Amino acid sequence: MPPRKRPQAPPAAKPRRPSEAGPNAATEPLKRKRSSIAKEATLPAEPTSEQAQTQPQTDQTEEPASKYRHKDPFDALLEPFYYNKSLTDPIDTAKDKWNLLPAFLKVKGLVKQHIDSYNYFVEVQLKKIVESSSTIRSDVDHQFYIKFTDIYVGSPRRADETQDAGIEFQSDVTPQECRLRDTTYAAPILVDFEYVRGRQRVIRRGVSIGRMPIMLRSSKCVLANKTPAQMTVLNECPLDPGGYFVVNGTEKVILVQEQLSKNRIIVETDPKKEIVQASVTSSSNERKSKSYIVLKKDRLYVKHNVLSDDIPIVVLLKAMGIHTDKEILQLVAGSDSLYQDDFAINFEEAINVGIYTQQQALDWIGSRIKINRKTGAYRRTHVQEAVEAIASVIISHIEVKDMNFRPKAIYVAHMARRVLMAKNDPALVDDRDYLGNKRLELAGQLLALLFEDLFKKFCFDIKMNIDKVLNKRNRAEQFDAWSVMSMHGNHITQGMNRAISTGNWSLKRFRMERAGVTHVLSRLSYIAALGMMTRISSQFEKTRKVSGPRALQPSQFGMLCPADTPEGEACGLVKNLALMTHITTNDEEGPVRNLIFMLGAEDISTVSGMQLYAPGSYTISINGTPTALTRRPKYFLNAFRRLRRMGRISEFVSIYINHHQRAVHLATDDGRICRPLIIVENGKSRVRRHHLQKLRDGRMQFDDFLAQGLVEYLDVNEENDSYISIYEKDINEAHTHLEIEPFTVLGAVAGLIPYPHHNQSPRNTYQCAMGKQAIGAIASNQFQRIDSILYLMVYPQKPMVKSRTIELVKYDQLPAGQNATVAVMSYSGYDIEDALVLNKGSVDRGFGRCQVYRKYVTNLKSYPNGLKDRLNPPEYENDAPIRKHALLESDGLAAVGEEVKAGEVYINKVTPDSAHTTGLGSDSSKPLTWNAAPMTYKLPDPAYIDKVMVSATEGETQLLKILTRQTRRPEVGDKFSSRHGQKGVVGIIADQTDMPFTDSGINPDIIMNPHGFPSRMTVGKMLELVAGKAGVLSGQHGYGTCFGGSPVQEMSQILIDHGFSYGGKDMLTSGITGEPLPFYVFTGPIYYQKLKHMVQDKMHSRARGPKATLTRQPTEGRSRDGGLRLGEMERDCLIAYGTSQLLLERLMISSDIHEVDICEKCGFMGYLNWCPGCKSSRSVVKMSIPYAAKLLIQELMSMNVAARLKLDDEFPEMKGR
Amino acid sequence: MSREAYQVPSMGGQNAFEGTSGMAVDSPAVVYICGHCASRVSLRRSEHIRCKECGHRVLYKERTKRMVQFEAR
Repeated sequence: MPPRKRPQAPPAAKPRRPSEAGPNAATEPLKRKRSSIAKEATLPAEPTSEQAQTQPQTDQTEEPASKYRHKDPFDALLEPFYYNKSLTDPIDTAKDKWNLLPAFLKVKGLVKQHIDSYNYFVEVQLKKIVESSSTIRSDVDHQFYIKFTDIYVGSPRRADETQDAGIEFQSDVTPQECRLRDTTYAAPILVDFEYVRGRQRVIRRGVSIGRMPIMLRSSKCVLANKTPAQMTVLNECPLDPGGYFVVNGTEKVILVQEQLSKNRIIVETDPKKEIVQASVTSSSNERKSKSYIVLKKDRLYVKHNVLSDDIPIVVLLKAMGIHTDKEILQLVAGSDSLYQDDFAINFEEAINVGIYTQQQALDWIGSRIKINRKTGAYRRTHVQEAVEAIASVIISHIEVKDMNFRPKAIYVAHMARRVLMAKNDPALVDDRDYLGNKRLELAGQLLALLFEDLFKKFCFDIKMNIDKVLNKRNRAEQFDAWSVMSMHGNHITQGMNRAISTGNWSLKRFRMERAGVTHVLSRLSYIAALGMMTRISSQFEKTRKVSGPRALQPSQFGMLCPADTPEGEACGLVKNLALMTHITTNDEEGPVRNLIFMLGAEDISTVSGMQLYAPGSYTISINGTPTALTRRPKYFLNAFRRLRRMGRISEFVSIYINHHQRAVHLATDDGRICRPLIIVENGKSRVRRHHLQKLRDGRMQFDDFLAQGLVEYLDVNEENDSYISIYEKDINEAHTHLEIEPFTVLGAVAGLIPYPHHNQSPRNTYQCAMGKQAIGAIASNQFQRIDSILYLMVYPQKPMVKSRTIELVKYDQLPAGQNATVAVMSYSGYDIEDALVLNKGSVDRGFGRCQVYRKYVTNLKSYPNGLKDRLNPPEYENDAPIRKHALLESDGLAAVGEEVKAGEVYINKVTPDSAHTTGLGSDSSKPLTWNAAPMTYKLPDPAYIDKVMVSATEGETQLLKILTRQTRRPEVGDKFSSRHGQKGVVGIIADQTDMPFTDSGINPDIIMNPHGFPSRMTVGKMLELVAGKAGVLSGQHGYGTCFGGSPVQEMSQILIDHGFSYGGKDMLTSGITGEPLPFYVFTGPIYYQKLKHMVQDKMHSRARGPKATLTRQPTEGRSRDGGLRLGEMERDCLIAYGTSQLLLERLMISSDIHEVDICEKCGFMGYLNWCPGCKSSRSVVKMSIPYAAKLLIQELMSMNVAARLKLDDEFPEMKGR
Repeated sequence: MSREAYQVPSMGGQNAFEGTSGMAVDSPAVVYICGHCASRVSLRRSEHIRCKECGHRVLYKERTKRMVQFEAR
């Protein structure tokens, strides 16, 4: 194997890009041209003052170098001050190694796993899928065949453009256009194929077989390798993470799915039933199945779905051709007498059923196989049946080649051994919640499953179609398979679209039925969208009452964010990736296998059981399958790691030793979470000062660190086999790795919290939920977007106290909140229970002001009879439009910029009356009438028409979108929150004159009640205030990075230097009395977020109003102008209190009172003073009952239950008077 | 099918009939602005939504010429 620098790199995923200098490059001759190979980077760098290489990735030679300097994560570390250092300061490896983090995020991380996985799917997996079923043959004409030779995805284009052209065809479609037009952002799937036409072979290239939705920012996307300037031209936000799809105009994310590893043995116990079992979920391209080895009553059995009974393990091993009992015993138990004794009993089982030979065993198993073959196939003997099942169904991921069952037998024996081991030592039972036993399924894999299913169906359909055509003896023209191909193209397109837009992954082949795979990308705020891309949803059912899957696992350290999980139902099941993680894609197993043998390991199929489990020998497993044997595991491990660090194997192949199992495990499979760590050798970090200097100069990037063996990726299993030092100063001889930066344990959302390590942990979790609801800037193209609802803040500010994560995720460029000066004191009594007092002056100046955009959309549908919906001009009365048509212009749409109030029409649509008639027959003579179907503004608060968009969808129906805008200032009841899980509603908006002020004349924007602190223990909030105040005074940002940040002592010193109290307390003067307050008040800036919950959207009251048709009770909910429910518990109170008349009034008179005629004789209801049952009106009386009660009685009657009303006088003595 | 093709003009005739009753025959054509090249496009009813300059399919309505008064608060 030749040495490779970057072996498995997908070509587009890791583009070599020339690095760029930061904004302060003007002062220093920093810019150096980056050579593309790591080795060359050490050559003397040439100053490139003549060639400003500011634009990365694309060749910018012909374009004039724009003034705009591309901002990327690297800029953070190129800022003049970080940790209060300038660029020329000496580098301290202990502190500056964090620079690797932005370098990492540049090539991997956050949404890159989605994009990498999609790229892998489009570039590699797609071809593999087609390769595995490339030929379609006809049953009718055996000469005929269609063979797919290649498959690739073209460039994205509109549905009405030519699909059958490769990458050369350049459409000017943009994702933004797809969002606006409600179309799908997709590219054609093109195939090259050859087939038989008549007598000759025909080759066709670049034929479209369907359209594949394109992940934004993937290698196929038009946004790939674009500079921010180019992105802006495409109306796309440069900060948008990408990684989602645009399907029918909605942005859809395929969430990361967590599941138990495939093809790995998991040993479990059931203490209740005294069962120890080893199970393996086999997953190969053809089949998915689960096999078990169960220990029941000290005997081992094999359990599988195709087997009607459990089979004794000895029978199975005999059937697999392990002839002698001794060999079986050695293969399972080795030379260990304890296991031998445990296993010996199993031989009785085989003897009891009289099985001594392979033939007998196969016959016996064959008789216990569930037959579910299709009719028509010829009957096979039991032996054939058993051979087939053992070879390809049981533990199907171990391939049986040339009827050599030995690898599978070893695997079964290995499973059995694991069961025996777990029986004797409960510590050897596997933990299902251990992160190393889990795999994450990403968009690419899910799409691959979907595409495989659709493609197989497509091939099948083509085959059926061809068979049908070829069956016709005399055809008019020569049969051309190409025409058939184009006919079926829609299936793949629609199958993909439907799956992504509904989120239902139903694949018949794998019996996979999953709902809720995709979600609409939340655009509440930038951080909400970003947080969604790192979200992991678990496949566990939410109702299970076990805490195991929900608990924070120690193995999640550094991989999953410990703070970011929702509260309540999905708590602990929905997780988020930490900042510096990557999810692996699949690597080839073959080269790794060759390497194992080259490193001196023995092939496992050549050794006997005695050698296999001899003391001191370790098995080597690739992806859970024992493959080789070594007697020097540590040497093997080190040699393998050395090769990986040299770059001869993919950096994502992991290796670790499990001493309990005496096994070396190698993993090359996809879906493992891993993260980079600095390698430590001989007690010294391999990353030295000159490396970091080069990194900062842009002469080295993250991949070079990997290639030079300074940094490596560890997955969870390997991480747990390592000794990792968090700080460089703590390193001793035993350490193997060094953490790049401790704050990367948190995710992107939790990284917004300043000083989170000083907060009580649930507060950080609360903030993670609230940070996603904060109103702010959403994207730099936010005014171009027409979303169904969009909240924007009018004057967002970047936080005074930042964190490294904030800079890295660029929250400071799209912030959601404002720096409010907060005084922590009691004021007016309107601040109890977390309520806030707002300064009216601040509100007037724009504090917390936000805009709410709403979309109203309609289609002008076409009907089968050729009619179409249309827009009518406004109706006129006395030469002026009628009141509700006041906004309309002559095109039937509201004028842009007008105020729209409740009841006014903004789209004056009419639909044809005879929409569903065919236009044939008698009804064609009827005059055509149009029914008004206007869209009326319904909200009580007026809005302005911001945009009116007209366009056409893919189906050429006219699409109308109207965007309305409201500007809202904060009002009493609006919800605000700091970044520490401290939410509160506005209790009062006090006049600025009444607010207290400091010596320097500063009024607080917000007064917060001090009772919010003691029980919440959000010390981070106090530190934020102090650091923010120091920052304000000294003119720089404070840093509240987790496990770091600006030290409080330094911040206090700054306060002192500026003549303030070290603790951040100020002397305030009352604005009401003018007297100094007799206490010092903790005052300073805290970043406050306005949350989307606003009173205006919730305020609701009703006196009388609409009623539901069925029950005649008041409707429910604000949107239907519903009533306010007097619920069960309120009813209980009234009963207990004894106010029966109030009850009657609330529950009947004000609700669904109804007068019924009841026949006292039969007890049924009549009408009009007449009982239809008794045919008389003699004993019919009138009575008021709730309509719901009447309905119930009648519904019971419809079910043949007679419910009679027996009437009695309430006051019998009054009778007759 | 031919009968359905006959249907369409009869529908068109009715359109004109109703158009006169709606008193909006002589209303000025509304101007739209192309989302791509920002050129002014005036569209007739039943015309395809497409910019006449660049062929872009997303059009926005021009801001009204009427006076709009904001309540500044």
